[in-house]
Amino acid sequence: MKKYLFIVKTQIIKSLTYEFNVYGNILMQTIIMITSAYFWRALYSGQGVVGDVTAESMQTYIIISSALSVLLITGVEQRIGRSVERGTVATDMTKPVSLFGMFFAEDIGSIIALIFQNMVPILLIGSIMIKVPVMADIRDLPLFVISVVESFLINWLIAALFGMMAFSTINNNALIQVKKHLIRLLSGSIIPIWFFPEGVAKVLSSLPFIYIYQLPLSIYIGRGTRAEHLAQMCIQFLWLVILSALFLFVHNRVTRKVMVQGG
Amino acid sequence: MIDVNGLCKDYTIKKKGAGLSGALKALVTKNTDVIHAVRDLSFHIDEGEIVGFIGPNGAGKSTTIKMMSGILTPTKGSVLINGEDITKNRKEVVKNIGVVFGQRSQLNWDLRLGETFELLRHIYRIDLKDYENTMSVMDDILGIKELLDKPVRQMSLGQRVKGDLVASMLHSPKVLFLDEPTIGLDVSAKYSLRKFIKEINSVRKTTVILTTHDLGDIQELCDRLIIINHGVMMEDGNLKEITDRIAPYKTLVVEYYDEDAPEHEKCEMISHEGNVARYRFAKSDITAADIIASLSSKKAIKDVSIEEAGIDDIIKIAYGK
Repeated sequence: MKKYLFIVKTQIIKSLTYEFNVYGNILMQTIIMITSAYFWRALYSGQGVVGDVTAESMQTYIIISSALSVLLITGVEQRIGRSVERGTVATDMTKPVSLFGMFFAEDIGSIIALIFQNMVPILLIGSIMIKVPVMADIRDLPLFVISVVESFLINWLIAALFGMMAFSTINNNALIQVKKHLIRLLSGSIIPIWFFPEGVAKVLSSLPFIYIYQLPLSIYIGRGTRAEHLAQMCIQFLWLVILSALFLFVHNRVTRKVMVQGG
Repeated sequence: MIDVNGLCKDYTIKKKGAGLSGALKALVTKNTDVIHAVRDLSFHIDEGEIVGFIGPNGAGKSTTIKMMSGILTPTKGSVLINGEDITKNRKEVVKNIGVVFGQRSQLNWDLRLGETFELLRHIYRIDLKDYENTMSVMDDILGIKELLDKPVRQMSLGQRVKGDLVASMLHSPKVLFLDEPTIGLDVSAKYSLRKFIKEINSVRKTTVILTTHDLGDIQELCDRLIIINHGVMMEDGNLKEITDRIAPYKTLVVEYYDEDAPEHEKCEMISHEGNVARYRFAKSDITAADIIASLSSKKAIKDVSIEEAGIDDIIKIAYGK
């Protein structure tokens, strides 16, 4: 365990080397956040409540969604893709650590750095330029935190599963892009699925994606009752279990098929 | 120490035709080829040996090393290090091995060298006293301490290889694998690398297994050579044994006062240019002294020298088989 903590620490140091990246990401997130805020303001135009949600709550939803997207950045897919492409996976495998344990620790390290580099600035910009995103009911905070942790894990496992394809197909960049945009679209991070036609919404609620963004966000803005939230968190947990099982199953197979490129 | 039994590695590759049409066809059809990179290798390596793997490009040397260090899973056969199968228990067995690839680095591009070492110290759980001991030994051989604060991305190749060597030795492994460690290095960097290998081998009794194309590495370092071609073992033994077996001859170079050179019945004249003639003879047949004596009785000799079959000759012969 200690060695993984040290990997986390080293990754924080590494992440702090690249300042320019950080500004770029803040800028991009700010643009997305502000355009969606204005977009929703325009759509609501005068109507107080749409889909049980007030315009005010929707603004909060957007700001927290942007902040949450920082937590849901994963490096594992590119990390695997890159190390397979360059052949450095060879040196990873001669270390007495579990490969995915190391990747997980690296992602945690990057995210800790990003919380300070990105999340805090985004929340500040959002508070100043849009509104202060206060939680609807502070008593839901524990529920919110737990659901965020679970959504982080679900998101990471999906990323790791995509990353594993790189062990056999070598170049997985296109797939990573597809996955990234699918998650953004289907998770309710930009458009909550209660705005989708009922049929589509039904299908989406049986997929894992909305449990990444929409569930914690709904808890935050207080859409739905606590009983509904708890029921949805059960489904979220179920997805976590399913994906973990799938991960373990694929993991054992895939590491035997590692390709080392060149020399 | 290391037992390799019937090691095989097959690669399945997609067959692709040439050009655009070939590439397009490959998208829809599934034509695969199986390449036998390593075929049925078996050998045993004792503690404290320095073994050189040599062979032409694509002979299967690196694949073999990668299987021995647990990176690739063999198609068939097994590798036992200290009696333990590396594919079954990778995380434990790799604690006993260090690996350096000349063409790729395990150092972290974004970190200072010292930070990478600190990370490795934690990954291998080396206690601070052992770590500092190793570092001072490494500093004596390679002068590594002056590099510790330097970011890896600013290092020269020579410095980077030094860093990689130290990184691979931090946890005092019993076996060190080096895959073309001297590739691209200048003379002085090669010299310190060889010194390093000899030093850790004699002081720490580290078993060293290296692949190389550098004849100097082979001559200076290797007690034992394993020559591989097309994934098959061609020769196994020390340099002298292999030389005696596949190139059991010497060359006598004789300079005369004029262009006329006499023949000798027990040796073959392999070249004759100007005043200089070269005779090749089998070591078991006749001695150089006898040939010189009989030649000088026929004609006056100005100068003589004797050439052993060089290591490059040996390699040429072994690869050509």
